[in-house]
Amino acid sequence: MIQVENLTKRFGQHVAVDSINFTVDSGEILGFLGPNGAGKSTTMNILTGYISATEGTALIDGIDILEQPEEAKKKIGYLPEFPPLYGEMTVTEYLNFVSEIKGVKTSDKKAGLDRIMDLVRIGDVKGRLIRNLSKGYRQRVGLAQALIGNPDVLILDEPTVGLDPKQIIEMRNLIKKLGKSHTIILSSHILPEVSEVCERVVIIDHGRIVASDTPANLSKGLGDTSRITLRIAASEKQALKVVGELQGIRSVESQGSMEPDTVDIIVQAEDNVDIRRPLFHAFSRASYPILMMKAVGMTLEDIFMRVTTQDDAVSDKGVR
Amino acid sequence: MLAIIKKEFLTYFKSMTGYIFMACLLFFVGLFFVLNNLLGMSPQYNGVLSNITFVFMLIVPILTMRLLAEEARQKTDQLLLTSPISLSRIVLGKYLGAVSVLFLTLIITLIYPAILSTMGSVNWPEVIGGYVGFFLLGCSLIAVGLFISSITDNQVIAAVVTFTALLLIWFIDTIAKGLPTDRTSGIIFACILIAAVAFIFYMAAKNWIVSGGIMAAGLIGVFVGYRMKPAAFDGLIAKVLNWFSLLSRYDDFSMGVLNLSPIIYYISFSGIFLFLTVRMLEKKRWS
Repeated sequence: MIQVENLTKRFGQHVAVDSINFTVDSGEILGFLGPNGAGKSTTMNILTGYISATEGTALIDGIDILEQPEEAKKKIGYLPEFPPLYGEMTVTEYLNFVSEIKGVKTSDKKAGLDRIMDLVRIGDVKGRLIRNLSKGYRQRVGLAQALIGNPDVLILDEPTVGLDPKQIIEMRNLIKKLGKSHTIILSSHILPEVSEVCERVVIIDHGRIVASDTPANLSKGLGDTSRITLRIAASEKQALKVVGELQGIRSVESQGSMEPDTVDIIVQAEDNVDIRRPLFHAFSRASYPILMMKAVGMTLEDIFMRVTTQDDAVSDKGVR
Repeated sequence: MLAIIKKEFLTYFKSMTGYIFMACLLFFVGLFFVLNNLLGMSPQYNGVLSNITFVFMLIVPILTMRLLAEEARQKTDQLLLTSPISLSRIVLGKYLGAVSVLFLTLIITLIYPAILSTMGSVNWPEVIGGYVGFFLLGCSLIAVGLFISSITDNQVIAAVVTFTALLLIWFIDTIAKGLPTDRTSGIIFACILIAAVAFIFYMAAKNWIVSGGIMAAGLIGVFVGYRMKPAAFDGLIAKVLNWFSLLSRYDDFSMGVLNLSPIIYYISFSGIFLFLTVRMLEKKRWS
């Protein structure tokens, strides 16, 4: 549905987006992840035709956004980082205006707007001036604007920023619901959000793609699922001795004592070995109760920190 | 495009700007009507329109400062530029939105000649000619204001720069009179113009070769022109400044003469500034 090839954007000397490539299949929800200033918004602005790329192409459903902008723009609904709202209009006036500039037929307009206002639940504020609305409502009106004209592709730039926790959950559920009938690209710097909503994640940093996979594969590929943390009612020495007698252990390290008369240890098993049952039996035989046992999978935070700080570490060495 | 015209027009009356513009213009038309026609007991209505051209120039920035500057500041231009509508339609829509406010105001002022006609004989063709000229003059000034509004994202800067530009247009005939008219200064002026064009081109395209080529071609042109017809450089400065003399074209209308050439002049003047506005927005997308 969306094909991006060698997309580059330079602002003078500064390279904001550095020849990135990715594709989004029809019906997919793609998460764009990266720290502030990584080039997420710039990429989205190019995809939607707001600014032009310095090099490279972006195809929306096979249509080049630079060559046939009007055709391509019809297929996209865009919610920018700051929703483009006119404060002096009421919600209904605003959505009517957007319908008109997007070329929605007059006969379909009323029904379309009612459906969208229902979906994003702004019906109760439709007569109010936009400048008097709360941030949560503004964001929803912004989303309603993106949905007008029934575009196949939705591009949402940090759709949950500035919302309260309840609104964030509502917004995520709404995006998941929209994902059933739309192709969606959404950006965020909040990792749990992306891992919850998106089917695939592209991590972008300093204008380049540093990782691209499903959230699950990312944690599998870069992290380990065979790390287990344990809290044992025993001394450190005793606990390490018990673990040391087991098969299939790659390494074990002590984390020190978090509670009186206990010790926390992290056990790293060999690949594809489930170490949990042997651990239980071994400690049970030695009569050291296991107070806690949990797998330490890598969270997206860990992955994110790892992939985005790796380059810095390398370039730091280069400087020295 | 109709949607944008409608939106712009209504936006003027959702804030104070539309009312202030109309109130100001109507007040001064009314004032001069009372002074010239009622107290002066004259049936000559077109003097009123000529009298308020200066006031009109002062208040055009009220109408134009917001047009594109505010969209850029509020980032609502993201909506317009990512909608399936071309840049030229956006610009034209905004322009016609502002022009329609002027049109409405002028329609209201038709009350005055109507009042006048109950008391004496009004030369209607002359009045209509005056109105057509005033409206076209206004359209040209609005086009200048729209262009300046596209340069900045600050309304105040847009207003001040527009105000300065319009004042320059107002004084341009006076300035032209004071400048040298001899051949040498004409040639120097032509060279400066060519250098300026080459520089602007370089700023826009960052291409030394092409802008150098423009410079060279221009200078050769000046040299050839000087050899062929040296008299062409006499009073060149005044001639060029005269292109921007919007007001001198207004005099014909004021006398009730509907000439084709000033009409075409005003329309093409507006057209050029609308084109420049589109280019300016286009350039913002590329840089």
